[in-house]
Amino acid sequence: MPMSSKESTTALKRTVIVALFAAVAVVLSIVEAQIPLAGMGLMPGAKLGFANIMILTCIYFLRARDAFVLVLLKTLLTAFILGTFSSLLFSLFGSLFSFAVMYVLVRFGGKRLSVIGISIAGGLAHNTGQLLAASIVLKSSSTFYYFPMLLITGVVTGILVGFAVRYVVASLSKISLFEEFLKPDQQLRKD
Amino acid sequence: MKRADILLVSIVLIAALAFLVPRWLSDDKGGPGKNLVANITVDGKLFKTVELTEEEQTIDVRTDHGYNILKVHDYGIEMYDADCPDKVCLGFGFITLPKQTIVCLPHRVLVEIASASGGDDVDAYVQ
Repeated sequence: MPMSSKESTTALKRTVIVALFAAVAVVLSIVEAQIPLAGMGLMPGAKLGFANIMILTCIYFLRARDAFVLVLLKTLLTAFILGTFSSLLFSLFGSLFSFAVMYVLVRFGGKRLSVIGISIAGGLAHNTGQLLAASIVLKSSSTFYYFPMLLITGVVTGILVGFAVRYVVASLSKISLFEEFLKPDQQLRKD
Repeated sequence: MKRADILLVSIVLIAALAFLVPRWLSDDKGGPGKNLVANITVDGKLFKTVELTEEEQTIDVRTDHGYNILKVHDYGIEMYDADCPDKVCLGFGFITLPKQTIVCLPHRVLVEIASASGGDDVDAYVQ
């Protein structure tokens, strides 16, 4: 079915935005991989979750399937670039779980939770998903020893990511590319 | 931040503390005379059980996935070297307390400290 010129412009814009966001998310993942968190006495393997900034922003502007494509692109490209194929399944499991939780909260709980609460929930879902995947692979539940630490790091990084998303969305809203994707009803900036 | 955000943060922090505080208060400490052991499992199967002694011991875990070298000393155990791609297992450091773990996901290696008297800790293995 041929699309009208307006429809195809919108589709093109969506594709461009997803591509841009994926590029930024991959760069953020690479940057955070260079930060030696384990050396600072924190949970080994813990990450700051900067890439979540782009995924949550994408959930706000675009549709679920666009954000889903972004999650897949980001996870695959990061694995290609950093060469961490052995942990690809774990990142995918965590990212998709986190994406699902954030999407549901934005669509159905967006009035009650601010973007900070949603990003915290996403971070916690990511940690829980990875821990679940690890306990399945290792056939042992003893990895849950680290669950309380992951809850605390999830809250702290979630708050940081949430503040970042608020600034990113506010700034991007001023760019004409994003104009038609604005959703004023979501009251992102209301505290 | 909205009220629901603060509620979410408080619930999560209280839940985390509910797990952590009993752990801090318990006198389940390692050290001499506690007879702790480390259970090393690969792919969910027990590879070896080593006693955590003061003397140094080196354990080689060589499997199809790759190698991990563990070192026992001063009543604790640490991951000394591994050829896994992410080296996350080296970040766990030196562990001495029961239930603490070292995980090397790429190699499916799990090291968990338990008390040698046994009995209470077997629930950790789900086949």
